[in-house]
Formats: sequence, C-alpha cells, structure tokens
Amino acid sequence: MAKAKTATSPEEKIKKAYVDYVLEHGTKPPSIFKFVKELKIKEEVFYDSFNSFENVEKHIWLGLFQETINRLHSDEVFAEYSVREKLLAFFYTWIEVLKTQRSFILETLPKGQKPDLKPAYLMAVRDAFKEFVTDLMLEAKETEEVKTRPYISDRYEDAIWVQFLFLINFWIKDESIGFEKTDAAIEKSVNLAFDLMGTGPLDTMLDFGKFLFQNR
Amino acid sequence: MKEQSKIPTSKVQRAARFVKTGAKVGGNYVKHYAKKAVNPKLTKEGLHSDNARDIYNSLSELKGSALKVAQMMSMDKNMLPTAYQDKFSMAQYSAPPLSYPLVVKTFQQHFKKSPSEIYDVFTKNAVNAASIGQVHKARQGDKQLAVKIQYPGVANSVRSDLKLVRPFAVRLMNLNEKDLDHYMEEVETKLIEETDYKLEVRRSIEISKACRHIPNLRFPQYYPELSSDRVITMDWMEGHILKEYIKTNPSQEDRNKVGQAMWDFYDYQIHTLRQVHADPHPGNFIINKDAELGVIDFGCVKEIPDEFYDPYFSLIRKDMLTADDTLMNTFKQLQFIYDNDSEADKVYFSGIIKEMMALLGKPFHQEEFDFGDDNYFQQIFFLGEEISASKKFRESEKARGARDGLYINRTYFGLYNILNELKAKVRTTKPEWAEKIAV
Repeated sequence: MAKAKTATSPEEKIKKAYVDYVLEHGTKPPSIFKFVKELKIKEEVFYDSFNSFENVEKHIWLGLFQETINRLHSDEVFAEYSVREKLLAFFYTWIEVLKTQRSFILETLPKGQKPDLKPAYLMAVRDAFKEFVTDLMLEAKETEEVKTRPYISDRYEDAIWVQFLFLINFWIKDESIGFEKTDAAIEKSVNLAFDLMGTGPLDTMLDFGKFLFQNR
Repeated sequence: MKEQSKIPTSKVQRAARFVKTGAKVGGNYVKHYAKKAVNPKLTKEGLHSDNARDIYNSLSELKGSALKVAQMMSMDKNMLPTAYQDKFSMAQYSAPPLSYPLVVKTFQQHFKKSPSEIYDVFTKNAVNAASIGQVHKARQGDKQLAVKIQYPGVANSVRSDLKLVRPFAVRLMNLNEKDLDHYMEEVETKLIEETDYKLEVRRSIEISKACRHIPNLRFPQYYPELSSDRVITMDWMEGHILKEYIKTNPSQEDRNKVGQAMWDFYDYQIHTLRQVHADPHPGNFIINKDAELGVIDFGCVKEIPDEFYDPYFSLIRKDMLTADDTLMNTFKQLQFIYDNDSEADKVYFSGIIKEMMALLGKPFHQEEFDFGDDNYFQQIFFLGEEISASKKFRESEKARGARDGLYINRTYFGLYNILNELKAKVRTTKPEWAEKIAV
C-alpha cells in the first residue's frame, strides 16, 4: 500500500477526508474520481478499501461504534456492571462519541424519510451491535436479569435495535443543552426495557392462568 | 367557582386528572367504603395513608419539581392531614436512584474524568436521594466527602412538572386558583434557581462564612473546583438527621442547645443578612453527638426585599396589633387587603390575619419560648384549619398575601415545626429595631 506521510492507514485517511469534505462543502463529493484527485491518492487505493461513498459512510459509523466499545472496555468498572448498567453505559458512551461527529451526521443523514428499521448507513453497525447485544443478553439470562420466554426472548435483540434507532433519532432532534433530554431518554427507556424483559406481573399472570386452565 | 364548593364528592374525580394516581386514589376510596360497610367505626386515617402512599409514589416517579412540591406541602403541617404529611416528608430520603453509568457520564461531561479518577473511593450506589438529585459518599485522602449529582433535564422539566401538580395542589392545599398562580410563579423561579448548582455553591459558601460566628453551628466545606452545574462536592457531615436524632432521646439541655442554634441561625439570616435558607426541612439538618447543628443544602435561598421586610416584620411588634390605622396600611402593603375590598371583607380578613399574626408572633413577644408546647401548635393548627375551611378565603377573587411571603412563611413554619419536634426551649432574640419598641 502507498505509504502515507502519517502513520494512518489509507482507509482512515479516506474516511477523514470524506468527513472533512462533507463538512466543508455541505454535500457529498460529486464523484469518486474528483474526490481521490483532491486527496492525491490513486483511485484503486480507494477501491482497495471501499467501493462507494455509501460504503465509506458505513465504515465511518462502524468506526464510531468500535470507538464506543473500546472506550467502554477501557473503563475497568465496566466488567463489574450489571447488564442493565452495561447497556446504559453503552448508550451514554455512544451518544458521547456521536457528539464528536454531530455536524457530519446531521449533514449526511437521509432527510425526510420514513423511519427505517434497516437504514443503509447503519448496516455494518447493526451486525456489530447485534453481536454486542447477544452477548449481553446471554449474560442477562444467566444472571436472570431478563427472563427467558418462549418465542419472545429470541426477539429481545431486535427490540433493543429498535431502541438503538429510536435513541439516535431522539438525539438528532434533541435541542436541550448538553443533550440532557437524550440522557433522560436513555435512562428511562433502558429501565423500561429491562423492567419489561425481567420477570413481571405478566409472567405471574400467565403462570396463574396456566394453573387455572390445568386444574379446572 | 361552583365546583369549589362541593369538595368532598369531587375529591376523587379531581384527583383523577393525574391519571394513574387518580385511578389508585379512587380505588382507595372504594376500598375504604367497602371496609366501612363492614366496619362502620373505621376512620379516614387509613384512607389518607393509602392515598398519600399512591400520590407519593407517582410524584417520586416524576422526580424533580413535583417531588419538591410534595416536600413543600409536607412542610405545612396544618395544611395536610397527618398521614399525607408523614408520607411526604419521606420524599427527602427515598426516590428511585440514577443509574451509575449516568453518574459516570455526568462526571465525564463536567470534569472529563470519571468519579473513580477524581476520588479515591466513590460509592456506586447513592446513599441518599436529594429532591432533584442524589448523594454519593466519596473519600479523597482522609477527607470524607458528600457528592450531590443532579438528575438530567430537571431544569427543563420544572415548568411542565409544575403544570402537572397544579390540580393536585389546588386539592391538597385547598388553595384557590388565583392564589396558586400568584404563588406558582414564585415557586417556579425558586425551583429553577435550585437547579443551578453553581449558584448553590456560591451561596453556601457566602452564608456559611457569614454565619460562622454563631455557636454550635457547623457547615460543610464546599469544593468549587469539584463542583459544576450538576455536581456539588462538599464535606460529609457525621451525625443524625433530625428525626433519627430525636429517636436517640437526647437530654433537654441538648435539645435546647440545638434549638437555640437553629433559632440564632435563622434570626441572623433573616434580620441581618436578609437572605435565608428557605428550606428548613428536617432532612437538611444533621446533628452530631455534641449536639451541634449541621446545615446542608442551600438550594433554596430567599432574598428578602426591603419593601416586604419592613411591613411584614413590623407585625411582630406587639403594639402593632392594637394600632389599627397603621395596621390597615401594613395589610394593604402586604396585599392581605385591597383598597377595593368591601368593608365587610376588610373587617373579616383583617380580623383573621390579626389573629394569625398574634399567634405566630407569640414567640417574639416573650424572652424565652417553649416550642415543646403542643397547645400552641394546636392553636396554629386550628386556625389553619379554619382558614382552609373558610369559604371566604377560597372564593376570594384576589390572592391574599404578598408572594414574597410564601417562602418566608414556609421558613417560619418549618422552623417552628422543627423546634416543636425538638421540644426545645429557646431564647427568642428579636432584631434590634424591634427590641427597642417591643413588649
């Protein structure tokens, strides 16, 4: 690979240049050709790592996600958290990380679209996130923080993905100082999610119903 | 104001505005009457305590200002049945806690460091809930610290929360709507001030410096460099909160000592500093084993403007109560009475207010006053009942009493109540100007 002047990989360089371009011009670069020319790299170097601008965006998001995970693991208390706290910590850190790229995110986000459960720019993040949540859920089932229920408990990951999208959208629209309202939204929604996933009155009700049914 | 005159039956319906609680409170009534059908001797005490619990639960879910209002209502003993009152005073001590990740996040945001980087030890769980935040215990070197952290978004939600408690306040406090608007604004400004932790630190340092000379009074040291908009770090105060202290059954001598410190503290603030710690809630005082009074939480400080101070405190002079002309003027200044009131109204209101002033001023008319005298508090209680049951007050088109009076009255109510609970005998010092004329 071409040796960049700095130690950064061409991939990082392209991502950074892309962000800068969008921020400065308020729009995506017109073509890959023009973009690589300005960046003074060969077009094939671009294609070595990406195949389109969309792809670059995907990787920028994935980069943010990995940054979040790294930050979480660098805090030694993280491992001691309960699963509920882990998810809370994840969302807080995630929003913190997103904050560093807010202008870029606001600029590139598709506007005026209907809520999309699988937005293209988040596809890479989605896989990584699901993996992260699946691990959390396994742990939670072990510690009995969430209850295993037939059919439903397999969908917990999806539910949390919806929550993930909701929080991003909430944050984008949040106009409070320091995004305080997003903090409150995280706190409340995660607590609700875990209260719903944990053993609740519904389970007891179901159990009682089953008992009555069997002992008529 | 027709709906106001048929309170008892609509009590349930009105409370139902607060959907969830309303439903529960309604359920409590049903339960109450069902029980009553079986046992006619049943009193309403049980009902009140059920209601108070449900209302408290939903208020504490709301957090922030609603909780604050609950606390405020709990201050005025004579405004609420005992059961409501006991439950509400719990507001200070228990409320669902903030998650630790949010605490960390708040620290990151304000100090760019996590709590474990700043302090040597930091409790993961809150040791105490303050009304709009929670308290963690920490240690730095050999210093025990209390770290208060504010819930996110409290400042923003003050306004909307107050709207939510409004119908409740009308019911529970038996106020008329006019009065409420009049006071709500004052409450709102105070609550918004209370969310400003930087201001609180500044005031705490100011007032604790100014009051340092008062004997048997302690203040925690505040650490501005470890405080921000949402975090306050101060010394941890060893000792018991008031209720627990009383349970330890202290000697009369100690009770008087604590009571005297309390009195001196307020006396100095009101008459000399002209700004006062307007939250004499039992939870804001910590008493150590040497019977020294520790004061925490300067979130609510009321500055007393001269145009309120002069007429209001002239009323504590005994001779005032017989000087009719001046008295009328004073009442007008304080907005108890308006020029366009009918003669009958003027006589009625000034009569009641005079009675109230004579009663509340009583401690000032003697050298020493025994706040353990339950008779005295019974009298206040009955007068309060009378006023809140009075149609004339509730249906009055105008708000009675200057709004500055809200927090001052609350301060005195709180102070008297605490002294009563302490059963303390106190030398009731008077401001210098009153000393010359009074008695």
